[in-house]
Amino acid sequence: MGGEKRTVIICRCNDVTLEELKKAIEMGIDDFELLRRYLRLGFGPCQGRSCIMIAARYFARATGKSISDVLANFHVRPPILPVPSRAVVVRGEGW
Amino acid sequence: MKVLVVGGGISGLFVAYELVRRGVKDVTVVEENYPGSGATLRNAACFRSSFTSPEHVLLMKESIKRWFELKDEFGFELYQKGYLWVARREETLDTFRKLVEFHNKYGIPTRVLSVDEVKEIQPNINSKIITGAMFDPTAGKMKILENFTRLYLRVKGLGVKVHPYTKALKLVARGGKIVAAETNRGSLEADVFVVAAAEKSKDILGTVGVDVPIEPVPRHPLVTEPYSDVIKPALIVDWDTPGAPYITQTAHGTLYMARDIADTPGAPIYSTRLDVMSKTTKPLSEILPFLRHVYILRYWMGYYDMTPDHHPIYGPVEPYENLYIAAGFSGHGMMMAPITGVLIADWILSGKPSIEIANNLKLERFKTGRLVKEIAVIG
Repeated sequence: MGGEKRTVIICRCNDVTLEELKKAIEMGIDDFELLRRYLRLGFGPCQGRSCIMIAARYFARATGKSISDVLANFHVRPPILPVPSRAVVVRGEGW
Repeated sequence: MKVLVVGGGISGLFVAYELVRRGVKDVTVVEENYPGSGATLRNAACFRSSFTSPEHVLLMKESIKRWFELKDEFGFELYQKGYLWVARREETLDTFRKLVEFHNKYGIPTRVLSVDEVKEIQPNINSKIITGAMFDPTAGKMKILENFTRLYLRVKGLGVKVHPYTKALKLVARGGKIVAAETNRGSLEADVFVVAAAEKSKDILGTVGVDVPIEPVPRHPLVTEPYSDVIKPALIVDWDTPGAPYITQTAHGTLYMARDIADTPGAPIYSTRLDVMSKTTKPLSEILPFLRHVYILRYWMGYYDMTPDHHPIYGPVEPYENLYIAAGFSGHGMMMAPITGVLIADWILSGKPSIEIANNLKLERFKTGRLVKEIAVIG
């Protein structure tokens, strides 16, 4: 507990750490949508409910952009919650 | 020489890379959205050379070679695990035999597999409803999100100026040459212009009177939650179901599925269709029964930038002496991008492509009527 190296997880779906976020920005990823894709932020079952605001705020601070600019291209994809495939397979092609 | 590339997707960035590598100092890329925002980051991230036209076969073979040549320099992640086209009908195996003969002639080692051989590759496949398969061991998949990001960082590191959120509105022609591109953020002058903007190339080139027959055809892929390694080849295609549904497992573990489902060309990028979930998952779950027990996580849209003969448009754009196009990839732009870069750089710097057959893909073919035939467009 609380050793030298503290691992801060910012995305619990894909186990992305704050360290990885910092490193990606240092590598030169200067676009939030590209950063999200590189780190898979918002690509898990929760679609970014916890990671996106943390990452957006950190990215905005690091790049001097506004949060609204950083999030201008962020879209959540349907379905909002994971859907069991048997629901769509059994229901057939009607919907 | 000053070059302006319109389109910051994977094709545009590979063109920029090849130009800089060959000594062009001043290369600028404009992209209307974020880098890679078009088909580049929306596709299945798979590659193959087992097509049915000599143009596609020869160029894709070189492209795959180039992906691997650049692997270490860029840190690309590529997995050559093969494509498996599964047949449900006996007659389909005859088609496969003909395709295999064609591929083998061009040095691509595809082969027809019996049901038992299919089971060796994909043990949990439903052997009761399949008759065999065709397998291409040289095809594969990649981590496209990471690979594209590495390409982006590399070209920027080499001095290419990439301007995202910069939309090219029109080209300005004077005396048989293009002299500038007007964007929403001002006018940009250059000596050479390359349009690599997929279906939007049509609008941009239309501003200087050039007609480009490209239609944006919607595609609707979906992914499941991540699972352990369940899809053994890079890609499995359900060949005998209309629209050829296919499945690939991303390196992250999610199952990516898609099917060619009729839709309105040009339908907006957020015109969600929930019916694609059942239309795609149902046939694939017949072939791979475990797919009834997975969770669908996300669904999105993208476009195939379709040309009338489903082949790209490459090379010089007449009547302008300094205008080039690389667009209309019809669903294969990502896998083809490294060779796209090579060919367009060839045309710009030495007036002709280093692979002769690329000449068949010039824009003029739609005027002369010398179209290319391709019968195996998948998904």
